[in-house]
Amino acid sequence: MSSTITKLNAPLTQAFDFQPSGESQIIPTPTENTLTQQLAGFDTLTSALEYAAEGTTGYNFYDAKGNLRSVLAYNTLRQNARTLAQRLAGFGLSRGERVAIIADTSPEFIELFFACRYAGLVPFAMPVPVNLGSHAIYVQQLRGMLLSSQASLALANVDYFNFLEEAADGTTDLQWIGTPGQLSEQPAKDIKFQKNDPDETAYLQFTSGSTRTPRGVVITERALMCNLQGIVRNGLELQPTDRSASWLPFYHDMGLVGLVLAPMVGQISVDYLATRDFAVRPLQWLRLISRNRCTIAFSQPFGLKLCTLRVRESDLKELDLSCWRAAGIGAEMIRPDTLRNFAEKFSSAGFDERAFLPCYGLAESTLAVTFSKIGLGSRSLQIDSKTLIDKRMAVRLQAEGRKFNEFVNCGRPLPGHTVKIVNEEGLQLSEMMVGSVLVQGDSIMTGYFNNPEETEKALKPGSWLDTGDIGFLFEGDLYITGRRTDVIIVNGRNIRAQDIEELAEQQVEVRSREASAFGVTDVDGMTTIVLVIECRLTDVTERQSLTNRLQQLVYMAFGVNCIVELVPPHTLPRTSSGKLSRFAARQGYIQRTNLTDQLPAAESGDR
Amino acid sequence: MTASNYDEIMQLLCDRLSDLTLSEVEITPESNLIGQLSIDSIKLLNLIMEIEDTFDISVPINALADVQTVRDLVDLIYKIKSAS
Repeated sequence: MSSTITKLNAPLTQAFDFQPSGESQIIPTPTENTLTQQLAGFDTLTSALEYAAEGTTGYNFYDAKGNLRSVLAYNTLRQNARTLAQRLAGFGLSRGERVAIIADTSPEFIELFFACRYAGLVPFAMPVPVNLGSHAIYVQQLRGMLLSSQASLALANVDYFNFLEEAADGTTDLQWIGTPGQLSEQPAKDIKFQKNDPDETAYLQFTSGSTRTPRGVVITERALMCNLQGIVRNGLELQPTDRSASWLPFYHDMGLVGLVLAPMVGQISVDYLATRDFAVRPLQWLRLISRNRCTIAFSQPFGLKLCTLRVRESDLKELDLSCWRAAGIGAEMIRPDTLRNFAEKFSSAGFDERAFLPCYGLAESTLAVTFSKIGLGSRSLQIDSKTLIDKRMAVRLQAEGRKFNEFVNCGRPLPGHTVKIVNEEGLQLSEMMVGSVLVQGDSIMTGYFNNPEETEKALKPGSWLDTGDIGFLFEGDLYITGRRTDVIIVNGRNIRAQDIEELAEQQVEVRSREASAFGVTDVDGMTTIVLVIECRLTDVTERQSLTNRLQQLVYMAFGVNCIVELVPPHTLPRTSSGKLSRFAARQGYIQRTNLTDQLPAAESGDR
Repeated sequence: MTASNYDEIMQLLCDRLSDLTLSEVEITPESNLIGQLSIDSIKLLNLIMEIEDTFDISVPINALADVQTVRDLVDLIYKIKSAS
């Protein structure tokens, strides 16, 4: 390890000369391209790649120790993807059939993704297992996605192939499963590539790890191109001198759209670190930025927190983050303190807090909805807490000493998009009034794949997407104040309350409609999942056993700890129709446990 | 540090886990890391980093999906260590 760090400390001009001894030299793609930068404006993903392939930039993959492992220039990607597309064509699938790919951070994933598009197929990324002891639940998750997408082909590299094999058992649509290596042994069919149509589906994006009802967001080429153009032109104001670094998983919208596809449509180079390697050693990401002079790197607030927590003074001396001009923050609610702590910690390493670039988006809108103005840093408003709770109105703090909540300015919608705030009856609210955030525009999904019921819940008349988030507008900028109670965000991961409740209801001791899950967030912004169960057991050991089992199941499925509270029957509040109200259950829990300082959440509506 | 002996790995891990959990729970090879020791994701990441540094190995993410008890984890480390 120490020798690696010494190498990483080498003067920047020499950093690229480093090579692991005994291995053939590989050189990362340059920052400076030989090709004139064209910022999006392509009609499809493959036409964007055809252009990028004329240059010298591309993707670079680093290992946990910071060594360059493989390079995939856009030029090579185009070649490899076209060759693989011919092999995919050998399966004789119809245009638009789905191809599932377990997406670890590897060149193979990107090649397969583009190969699908060249072959007119629809790829989608499936997650890698991340939780201790999650084998069985992970396999269920994969199977759920394979079934919901009616995938015809599925691929995983050797590390994950056994999981895929198990998941494929019990599906009917799959014609073939294999590794990228096995695909390369398939016969190639000499086909003439058909041009993709902007109205065709480009890919599916699964939004949650739900086991029973996964939802695959359908994104067309047109929506994707529209969103990418907004991101590179308006959000990032991309320059030919830009270079990205990313640890975000390829199976998340921010990782895939934001840090794989957006750099490609702007023809800039990207340096990748696997998510797992970042999580274990977050500083490797900062070292990569420092060493390769990266200018654009996105993270969830949780990622910044990990960096702040794990850095040592000695680490700071080796970093020079002055090159980092766009530190994009999104994917979960942004707390000003997280940003302040990060900036404080890393200012001595040259980090400029004006680089903070808060944004807001979701997979149902391809990725981005709003971006704050680049170069201004994070701005926020202090809002009077009492008025916020009592009147659902955002009033700027007038007097010192009153309690307040601080909300980050997420900026304005990308061109061609509109954001409005509505109340529970769907009526539009004026500025500073808090309500549901709705979005309209060309980046919006066409729906959830093969799921009209969920689609109808999300897409309101007039093609307004109900985001499920709560917020307000001020001077045209969007501020997110919370989520509705049906989604709990812990460490940047969206967890559906329903999924946790279903897990609980699978236990023999728990009857259906007797479990309620929600999140509580403390003053430091740490969210904890609470699972309240109506329980008839009286025996202490049995009660303890149920509690332990539930905590373990939730951990294995979602990788988070939870609080389990067993309450007597009829404790959980129900609506007039007999449905459990999570909102009321949460209020009850807060009262019972004397929790204070909770941000207001809204009732979950019907989503 | 080259503790590649199985019992040494077990001892080292139990010691480390008792620091991490800060509770009265007695740690045995059968202790469940999640259910009994409440190892959350941050603690787990720290633990993996320490394991990797101590034993000079790389713990693959796919292998953790089959780890539930202290013994499972020791078996895994021992396997990786012996293979390297």
